[in-house]
Amino acid sequence: MVGGSQANDRLMSSFTTFVAVFSWICIAVPALYMVGALLVSRPQGSRSAFAWQLANGLSVATLVAAAGVAVASSNAEPLADPLASLFGLTLAEGRLFSVRTDVLTSVMLLLVTFIGWVVVRFSRRYLDGDPRQFAYLRRLLLTLAAVSALVTSNNLLVIALLWLGTSLSLHGLLTHFAERSAAQIAAHKKFLLSRLADACLLGAVCLTAWSLHTLELDRIFEAVQRMPRLPTAVVISSVFIAVSVLLKCAQLPFHGWLIQVMEAPTPVSALLHAGVVNIGGFLLIRLAPLMAHAHIAQALLLVVGLATAGVASLVMLTRISVKVMLAWSTCAQMGLMLVECALGAYEMALLHLVAHSLYKAYAFLSAGGAVATQRVAAMAPRSGRPGLGVLLATGGLCLAVLTAGLSWGGVDVLGQPAHWFPIALLSLGLPSLLLNLPERRNTKVLVTIAMAAVGVAVCFGGGHIVFQRLLPHGPALSPTAAAPAGVAVVSLVALFVAHSWIRQRPASAFALWLYPRAFAGFHLDEIFTRLTFRLWPAKLPVSLHAPLVLPQTHESSSQ
Amino acid sequence: MTTAASALPPTPSAQHAALTAACTSIAPTFPLDRFIAVNPYWGFVSKPIDVAARHLQQLSGTSLLMKRSWFRQRWQSGEVTAAHLHTALERSDSSASIDDLQRLVERDENDQRTVLLLTHLADRGRDVGRHGSWSSFVTHSVSQLCASHFDAGQAAWSAKADAGLYRTWRAFAAADRSPALLMSCELRRLAAQLPDSHYELIEQALRELEVPTARVASYLSALLLDVNGWAAWCAYRRFQARLTGEDDEAVEELVAVRLAWELLLLRSGGGGKREALGREWLAARLLLPAEDAAPPTRDERALDWVWQHAVEIAFQEGLVAGLKGTVSKPEAGLPSVQVVFCIDVRSEPFRRGLEAAGKGIETLGFAGFFGLPIEYAPLGTQLVQAQLPGLLAARLRVTDVAASDSAAATLQARREARLGAGQSWLGFQRASTSGFAFVEALGLGYAWKLVQGTLGLSAPAPSEQVGLHESEQKRLRPRLVSNVAGNPLDLTARVELVHNILRAASLTGGFARLVVFAGHGSATSNNPHAAGLDCGACAGQSGAVNARVLAGLLNEAAVRQGLKEQGVLIPETTHFLGGMHNTTTDELRLYDLREVPDSHRSDLGQLKRALFEAGNLTRAERAPALGLEGDAASLLLAVKRRSCDWSEVRPEWGLVNNAAFIVAPRERTAALRLDGRVFLHDYRHDADENSAVLELIMTAPMIVTHWINMQYYASTVDNQRYGSGNKVLHNVVGGSLGVFEGNGGDLRIGLPLQSVHDGQHFRHTPLRLSVFIAAPRHAIEGVIERHAIVRQLVENEWLHLFRLDEQGVEQRRGQRWHAV
Repeated sequence: MVGGSQANDRLMSSFTTFVAVFSWICIAVPALYMVGALLVSRPQGSRSAFAWQLANGLSVATLVAAAGVAVASSNAEPLADPLASLFGLTLAEGRLFSVRTDVLTSVMLLLVTFIGWVVVRFSRRYLDGDPRQFAYLRRLLLTLAAVSALVTSNNLLVIALLWLGTSLSLHGLLTHFAERSAAQIAAHKKFLLSRLADACLLGAVCLTAWSLHTLELDRIFEAVQRMPRLPTAVVISSVFIAVSVLLKCAQLPFHGWLIQVMEAPTPVSALLHAGVVNIGGFLLIRLAPLMAHAHIAQALLLVVGLATAGVASLVMLTRISVKVMLAWSTCAQMGLMLVECALGAYEMALLHLVAHSLYKAYAFLSAGGAVATQRVAAMAPRSGRPGLGVLLATGGLCLAVLTAGLSWGGVDVLGQPAHWFPIALLSLGLPSLLLNLPERRNTKVLVTIAMAAVGVAVCFGGGHIVFQRLLPHGPALSPTAAAPAGVAVVSLVALFVAHSWIRQRPASAFALWLYPRAFAGFHLDEIFTRLTFRLWPAKLPVSLHAPLVLPQTHESSSQ
Repeated sequence: MTTAASALPPTPSAQHAALTAACTSIAPTFPLDRFIAVNPYWGFVSKPIDVAARHLQQLSGTSLLMKRSWFRQRWQSGEVTAAHLHTALERSDSSASIDDLQRLVERDENDQRTVLLLTHLADRGRDVGRHGSWSSFVTHSVSQLCASHFDAGQAAWSAKADAGLYRTWRAFAAADRSPALLMSCELRRLAAQLPDSHYELIEQALRELEVPTARVASYLSALLLDVNGWAAWCAYRRFQARLTGEDDEAVEELVAVRLAWELLLLRSGGGGKREALGREWLAARLLLPAEDAAPPTRDERALDWVWQHAVEIAFQEGLVAGLKGTVSKPEAGLPSVQVVFCIDVRSEPFRRGLEAAGKGIETLGFAGFFGLPIEYAPLGTQLVQAQLPGLLAARLRVTDVAASDSAAATLQARREARLGAGQSWLGFQRASTSGFAFVEALGLGYAWKLVQGTLGLSAPAPSEQVGLHESEQKRLRPRLVSNVAGNPLDLTARVELVHNILRAASLTGGFARLVVFAGHGSATSNNPHAAGLDCGACAGQSGAVNARVLAGLLNEAAVRQGLKEQGVLIPETTHFLGGMHNTTTDELRLYDLREVPDSHRSDLGQLKRALFEAGNLTRAERAPALGLEGDAASLLLAVKRRSCDWSEVRPEWGLVNNAAFIVAPRERTAALRLDGRVFLHDYRHDADENSAVLELIMTAPMIVTHWINMQYYASTVDNQRYGSGNKVLHNVVGGSLGVFEGNGGDLRIGLPLQSVHDGQHFRHTPLRLSVFIAAPRHAIEGVIERHAIVRQLVENEWLHLFRLDEQGVEQRRGQRWHAV
């Protein structure tokens, strides 16, 4: 052999080794969680401390493994093409357990194991003394096993089944306090919706298998790429996938369960909001090569996502308890993530998914600090409203400055609809820095705020650039069309104006008209709850309170 | 039982009295940022405790006693013996035998309760799985509305109208589609027809519901107890308003709102048959306890009170024996250091440790606000926080001062700028449109915050320090500047203030070279109920401000001169210091050490060593209860780690197991190991002219300790109604109003379950407070005679009162003193 090909061979073999290690780690992570789940099931006496130590050790091990993979894969050149690298555990004909060793896998694996480590560590002291803490721990590890396997899988059926498994083990966590009716009702609603979503996804699986004769993602994508247009079965299948995602991402009007599962311990909320509810977004990013061409599904995601982001972010403002406020916020953020998917901005969606997970996990776990936050707010100098005009003008100004600045820097802002949404999102967000402006302002304060705005813009831009490098196929797959981008930007502007209006003029007729509706969550969940009560009532626990009795004589009249 | 006369609709004046009675029966609950203890049964102390218990049981189904299984365990473990039962029986008017008592606790109690409210009636025979439960719907609906009405900073957007609670509710109900959607019962039109004022509503509803006059008060009480959390919140608003001579009618409005629901259900039938519901109600309303009726003959749990008493006797037995034992002799000569602690039960082990750790160290117990009726306005903030017991209104104002006015002005400007920027940032983070951009720009950074939280890398900064760096913080010290109206306090007033404080603390002579006032506070992370672990006498804040202010006053030469003229001679060699006992880590930090004269450096060194040693001893004593073990250094590390662990639900055990209050010189208790169960107040009757100090102690610290005692008691015997439930579900409401357990439901008051229970057992033993006072009979009787509230607490057996003297210990029972 000549020298050049030797070097090439060495490169190939080191690459193959890397892929093998990556794949084994992808399999080892869920396996470790499973082992943990089996071992902690019935600890007794002194073994209870051991169970937590074991879970903690495993969660650290998985985190380290995932981090190793992430660092290695960020340098591995061939992985830049996410569709190329595969490893399969061949099982009969199909490769059921094939693993995707791409950047998306390593990012998600790192996220899941990180959240897993945080949540396990947090639960140890938090659930101290809880008589059912080991059932809790087992389900926690099972959920983590399912999620971590899901994000690595290359097989649509396996993904569907693991999503089902995630949901089932999470159900046990949500009903940790089985005696609480509110917990049962919320979990019941989630159960029904999730099964509906599972049915949709399994429908999609069947249609795909029937139409494309494969369930492996790489083959599906290859097949789709070769086709001039998608076959009807695949179009329907993509709509099924979209519906399934909307249901599981708690989009309107099926969001009620997400709001009401505060009936489970705080770390469960953190896990749910940071690691489970966003799987829908992950699935869309994973299936990007398919979904990017499925215009009906994309339109559906766009409309529902936008509506949810707008409505939920307004409802969030009216919430009077910290956890419920956070839940509405998740609902809105998931909506936005789906909008980004619908626009084909998959790198943005992934950034949003990861950043939101980390933020929301922290927000839930530190929710007990609400009282301290409130005190600090009471210490701060009184804030004065800057005025509606100022706020709207600032939004316009930011929009103009960013557009002009980027165009000057050589970016074709107006010509490329892909830039519209992120620019609008950032520029219409920055004016909120003025909402709590101190009444007594001086230049120093204004300079600080301007600097903060610049800092936010830099972080925002930096995040986007980094994720674009990580996931370069997003824009390449489907250049964002002008129409959906336009709809999304117009909706953002509408939300910005409405929000500025109600915040600056809470006593205006519009705000007073909207407030009770927003406070009631637009009654969307109640309509849905009533439906579930009728069709499939939840089995409620016997009330903890003493039974109510009437004296004998009146018993008959009540029948 | 029902005569024609009493079935008549109530007359307005009788109705008004009944309304007042119902509203007075609810005790206030304090917001979470100043979460001080209140006896939740405070509205019932005019009744003997067992009668009040029966009454409350009828009204809400609560019990003031532990379950019989708990008593059974006390018996089986030998904690309660036949002798204790025998003594308890002797002291009761029961004719039962010991056998009867033992048989009693073999079976569990029967906790059925009777329908009292129409809302509950509407749930009977309703398929609640399919159609929803009215009781939980109404509670949730009222609770959400109250939260939005009283919200103090959670919601960014609210439509606050100036209308009261009732009017706000009516407007809400007239537009609310939830009853139709969830409960299949359209109520909007009916709600719109309700009267304009809450008084009219109450009158109309009682007439239409045909509640007999004699039963109106219990009916209204039962309605309030059905939304007990919010009722207590409204009662707090009234309590605060009345402290400053104003008033607040939110409680009455809440009665109207809850009553309006009953009326709406009566008028609509609640989605079921209207006539049937009306008929049932006609019968059910007669089950309401009548006001003047004789107590029901069959009291399910009358005998259980003997058991409760026996458990208390078992505890008192040991303490009485100890108090009768030898009185330790105070060391000859002057002590080198005196440290004045708060009466808090957590001071007791530390004081014992400190006395053991250093020769010539004397400790004293005094209310932890050190008698200063102050409010504290930290420099550069809008905050004004009370630093005194909840029973009192602040009269004086403390703020931070620096070496010079210009230095203070600089710090003020910096802090205002930082706090302002922080709020702008929060506004950005929490607004609708910006929330999305915020997440994409900065969300990734939260990975680091999660790491910090998980590894416990960030110690919680007390909120008083927010906006200032530590070096800046050190340049400030709190100082009394004026009264609350802003008028400066002249020297005479300062001298008088300090003189009264020293007298009340029984510290008017024999000053050591160093005198430390040690306030206390806790250090916990991510804990909504953190203020509940701070100093109750300082309105749920740390007592450091009070300690430093008092030390500062006593170091003023002019004040000392003034005191000398009053006959209190403070030697020139005496220096006062402020300190803070951190009850979570048992470290005692001293403040303003730069002002200690050089002559006192070695005394200070010794004191610091003794304080460290005392901390070690106290931590070692507390370790088993916290599940910790190891040597002194590892224990210190462990408690420090706990205090900044954001997932720790039991950072410390607080005032758990508190059971007694001893008002006596320290030599009576110095030899006893009291296990942190006893409040200790120093008192020397021979120095107390006209028993003025005794009167103060029995009407202020004794009430406060009783409130704390009853808060723990109630949170233990019925955590469902008077405790705030499981901490892992807590969801802070309205910024700092309180918590929901989970998604919604009523506002929860009282202590979390984790504060009194370790998962397997109750760590708090619910005992009524045993008060021991070293004073002559006539002095104590005088206070009882002059103060109705003290008389009620003692004679209605809400606490046990004992007296100490050289001859021994005697107890006041049935208005007479009995030797024990």
